[in-house]
Amino acid sequence: MFATLDRLDLEAPLHEEPLIRVPDGVQAAAVDWRVMSDPIDQTDQVQDPRTQFEEQALPFMDQLYAAAMRMTRNPADAADLVQETFVKAFASWKTFTQGTNLKAWLYRILTNTYINTYRKKQREPYQGTIDDLEDWQLGGAESTTASSTRSAEAEAIDHMPASVVKDALQSIPEDFRLAVYLADVEGFAYQEIADIMKTPIGTVMSRLHRGRRMLRELLADYAKERGIATAATRSTK
Amino acid sequence: MTDCGCDKARRDLEEYLRHEVCKTEQGDIAEHLENCAGCRDEALVARTLTEVLARACKESAPEELRDQVLAKLRAVQAAH
Repeated sequence: MFATLDRLDLEAPLHEEPLIRVPDGVQAAAVDWRVMSDPIDQTDQVQDPRTQFEEQALPFMDQLYAAAMRMTRNPADAADLVQETFVKAFASWKTFTQGTNLKAWLYRILTNTYINTYRKKQREPYQGTIDDLEDWQLGGAESTTASSTRSAEAEAIDHMPASVVKDALQSIPEDFRLAVYLADVEGFAYQEIADIMKTPIGTVMSRLHRGRRMLRELLADYAKERGIATAATRSTK
Repeated sequence: MTDCGCDKARRDLEEYLRHEVCKTEQGDIAEHLENCAGCRDEALVARTLTEVLARACKESAPEELRDQVLAKLRAVQAAH
């Protein structure tokens, strides 16, 4: 079901012969040896780990802070969470494989840290069984209205103030919120979200689907209260 | 939405929009969307929701956080 087939080519055996062969009779005169001995590559390898970490990981600070804001819901905790994430990431920097997905790696640490430290402090209703709820218990935006009102819904969502969108996101259950955030804001693939949240991919898809449906409903409610015409996205419950 | 591939298109719409379906299905759904205004609008709502969320959630970390993190990393390294 997932588009992984394209990658198979990468696993084809490498050439056994050297890729570049100088044909007989061609002298190496054209090679500029000064360029070849440029020491740039060597300095890269002996780079101080902290400098390397700072160069590679710190550019993600704004993104991690934005995610931390949605998790903790306040600037002070978000800043603490980001700081703790960077300290932990630096502590295990040796275990990070260069060339793999650094952003996903940092988000895994962020999410872990949040779940283990901050979530416990925050009073949220118990949500352990939210994945088991039936669709009808969650309500739904499986719309049965005409499509003309659907494009009105898209327009209303498009003009929604950012604060309203954030409030709506804040009000859906945490696991749903995280899945939606990681997919829609960060653009992570399902498999990456599954790795970050340590859940099966099917759970990710279901949380995402339900979370987005709840958001649509909340935004439609808001628009309705304000008298903005949108699709009536409430299903019969 | 009960005929002509709407059910399938709606069911897999999110996966389709995130390029999480295989090529064949990607092609099937794309073709269905070409011909079905209802599903096209549904896709528009879905895409708009993603865009609006991404737009609304943009934040810049406070200036002092960067300095705090740098100081912390230095302290951690010095301690080892």
